[in-house]
Amino acid sequence: MTIKVLGISGSPRRHGNTETLLDSFLDGAKSAGAEVEKVVLKDIDYSPCRGCNACHKTGECIVKDDAPALFEKMFAADCVAVASPIYSMGITAQLKGFIDRAQYLWARKFILKTLDFSEDYIRRHKGVFISTAGQNWDHVFDGAFPAITALFHGTGFDYSDNIIANNMDQYGGIKNHPTALKDAFAKGKEIAELLGSRKNP
Amino acid sequence: MTIKVLAFAGSPRRHGNSETLLDWVLAAMGQDPDVSIEKVPLTEANINPCRGCNACEKLNRCIQRDGLDTYHDKIIEADCIILSSPIFCLGLCSQVKALVDRAQVFRSRKYVLKLPVVPVERKGKRLAIFLATAGQTWPHVFDAAVPSVKCFYHVIDIKDADISYLMINGVDESGAILHHPTAQADAEKLAAGVLAEQKKRLAAGPV
Repeated sequence: MTIKVLGISGSPRRHGNTETLLDSFLDGAKSAGAEVEKVVLKDIDYSPCRGCNACHKTGECIVKDDAPALFEKMFAADCVAVASPIYSMGITAQLKGFIDRAQYLWARKFILKTLDFSEDYIRRHKGVFISTAGQNWDHVFDGAFPAITALFHGTGFDYSDNIIANNMDQYGGIKNHPTALKDAFAKGKEIAELLGSRKNP
Repeated sequence: MTIKVLAFAGSPRRHGNSETLLDWVLAAMGQDPDVSIEKVPLTEANINPCRGCNACEKLNRCIQRDGLDTYHDKIIEADCIILSSPIFCLGLCSQVKALVDRAQVFRSRKYVLKLPVVPVERKGKRLAIFLATAGQTWPHVFDAAVPSVKCFYHVIDIKDADISYLMINGVDESGAILHHPTAQADAEKLAAGVLAEQKKRLAAGPV
């Protein structure tokens, strides 16, 4: 069975550094035979979580838009790569807006107890975070990781890798980075092969 | 002397825990006749996310025409700027993150174009407060939100040392904060402290 890899791009800017890094990861997965798809958040229609907590009772979101379908798409994937540039020491508002909408899955898991992921399931589903930052600080990504952890934890993915590159302002873009694009390609290939071996032993 | 307080209530839920915390701070400040308060619920502010176009690095203004047109000027005019947010998924709720990201126009002004954000005589005279509530009881639940808040305040010329924080964890359902043992008293104490410092700064004359 073919491995499905889903890329979610949270940048408002098309084909910028972060999306290019995501593309490289997806190309790597494709080279290992994976079926890849990319969803660009700026092109779909969803609004932020309203904090109404209705999902705590029903396990469903009352907001009817494209977000729940994208979570379904995540569930159909073996690997999800979520990408966001760093804005103001965190992920973009666009990606945070999508992640906050996962509250109904959190409610299913922790309040209603209707959603659970076995250890074996999580082992077969990998989550990857892809990011770039203009700043050269090593800690520039620290504020982004917790929300990504929350997303993958709530959707049954083993959050296994960060593909991150800082100092974009100095490099003048990801294409001038000595290793990032190659590393992302290699990681995409490696994960697709690993998940393939687990799916088709 | 009028002290202008601009307060953003960032939660998508009106009158929930983080807004209640904000209301306590504002009520305490509002008892002072010199204080003028404007409270802005972000649900009504029409502030869209940043598009990352970087046009502000050249234009010195944002290309988007929305609520930020109004609040851009108010942010510059205010003496004390307060931001309140619930913690969603270990970070600022996305509505607040949108406001923080849109402060890119100030960042461009300050660091790229090297222009003043506030007139030089008002530098060091502005104070900030960040208020947050979280359902989780983990002490580290606020850690990822704080760096973004600092970014927001830095680019509008408020230094780390001039930001005060009150972050209350373990309050989840609406109204839970009303049963918190110290939150209201802490909010009132914070308001009094910041207001006293604000008056001292404004009375001191130009730096």
